[in-house]
Amino acid sequence: MTVNNIQNTHFEFVNLLLSGNRARCSEFVKDFLDKGNSVHELYECILKNALYEIGKLWEYNKISVATEHLASAIVEALLNDLYSRIIPDVRNNKTVIVSCVENEVHQIGLKMISDIFEMNNWNSHFLGANTPTRELITFIESIKPDVLAISVCIYYHMPVLEKMIEAVRKIFPGLTIIVGGQAFNHAGNNIIVKYDNVNYLPDLKSTDRFIKTLT
Amino acid sequence: MDKNYLINTASLLKDVSPETAEEYIQKAEQLTYKINSLMLARTDIDKLVGKDNINMMKDNHSNHVRFIGSILKNNNPQVLVHTVLWVFRAYINHGFAPNYWASQLNAWFFILEEILTEKSYSEVYPFYEWMQVNIPIFVKVSKEETDS
Repeated sequence: MTVNNIQNTHFEFVNLLLSGNRARCSEFVKDFLDKGNSVHELYECILKNALYEIGKLWEYNKISVATEHLASAIVEALLNDLYSRIIPDVRNNKTVIVSCVENEVHQIGLKMISDIFEMNNWNSHFLGANTPTRELITFIESIKPDVLAISVCIYYHMPVLEKMIEAVRKIFPGLTIIVGGQAFNHAGNNIIVKYDNVNYLPDLKSTDRFIKTLT
Repeated sequence: MDKNYLINTASLLKDVSPETAEEYIQKAEQLTYKINSLMLARTDIDKLVGKDNINMMKDNHSNHVRFIGSILKNNNPQVLVHTVLWVFRAYINHGFAPNYWASQLNAWFFILEEILTEKSYSEVYPFYEWMQVNIPIFVKVSKEETDS
C-alpha cells in the first residue's frame, strides 16, 4: 500500500473508531496486515494518526470526551489483540522497562514502544501510565534492565521527567534512558540534551533503529 | 500579525531564575485555588465560559498553572505559542467567549502580585503581559486555524 493510500485509510479507520464498533475496527486491522502492511505502518500511519485526528475532533468540539475515551479504549484493546501476532518465538537476554512519568495518563504510544522492543526479541516490562518515581526506582533495582524508556505526552510533565531522570541517574549512572512522546513535538528536546546517555527518539522507526544498535 | 510574530515576540521574553520557577511551581495549588475563587465570584461567569463549562474552566486554570510552571522552568517560545494557540482554539470551540481570556489574565496579575515574592513577580510578569497584549492575535490566529 502506498503512503497516500495509507493516509486515506487512516480516515476510514477514524470513522470506524467513532462508530464504536470494536469488532469492525479489529477486522480493519486484520485486513490491513493481511494485505502485507507491517505492524510499524499500522502503528505509525493508522493508529497514531487516527488518534491525533480524534484529538483534533475533540478540540473542534465535534466529539465529546466520552467518544474520545471510547476511541482510545478500542485502540488499546486492538494492541492487546495484536500481541499474539507480534510476540517472538525466541527472546534475547536484553530487558527494557517502559513507563510513563508520574501523573501522565496517556500510555498508548508507550505500549507501541514496548511492542517494538518485543518485536526485536527483547523482554519488555510495560508499567504503563502514571508510575511514581520512587516505585520505578525500586522496580529498576529488582529487574536491572538494559534500557529504561520513558514517555511524556503533556508538556507540563517535563519538570517531572527531569526529576525522574535525575533520581534514576543518581542510583543507576550507567543506565541507558530513552525518552519520547508528544510533549517533545515542539522542540522539547533541548531539555534532555544536558543529561548523559539520555536519547530522544521521536517515533517508532527511530526507536527500532536504536534498538538494533544495542542488540 | 501571525504565528511567527507570536513566536518572535515570545523569544524576547527573558528566562526567569530557577528560584522563581520553583516558587511558582511550589505555589501551584494556592494559585489555582485563588484564580478559581476570583473567577467564580464574577456575576458574568456563565457568559464568559459558556453553558455548563465551569468544570472545564477549572481544568483550564489548573492546566494553566502546570504549563506556565513548566515554561518558567524550561522556556521554549515554540511550545508556548503552540500551546496557547491550542488552548484558545479548543476552549473557544467549546463555547468560551474571547473576553474570558482578558478577564482571566487581569485576575492573574492581581493574584501573582499577592502570592509571589516581589522578585518572582517581576520576573513572571512579562510572560503574562505578553499573553495579555497578544490576546487579539491569539484569537485571530486560532480562528484562522479552526477555519482552515
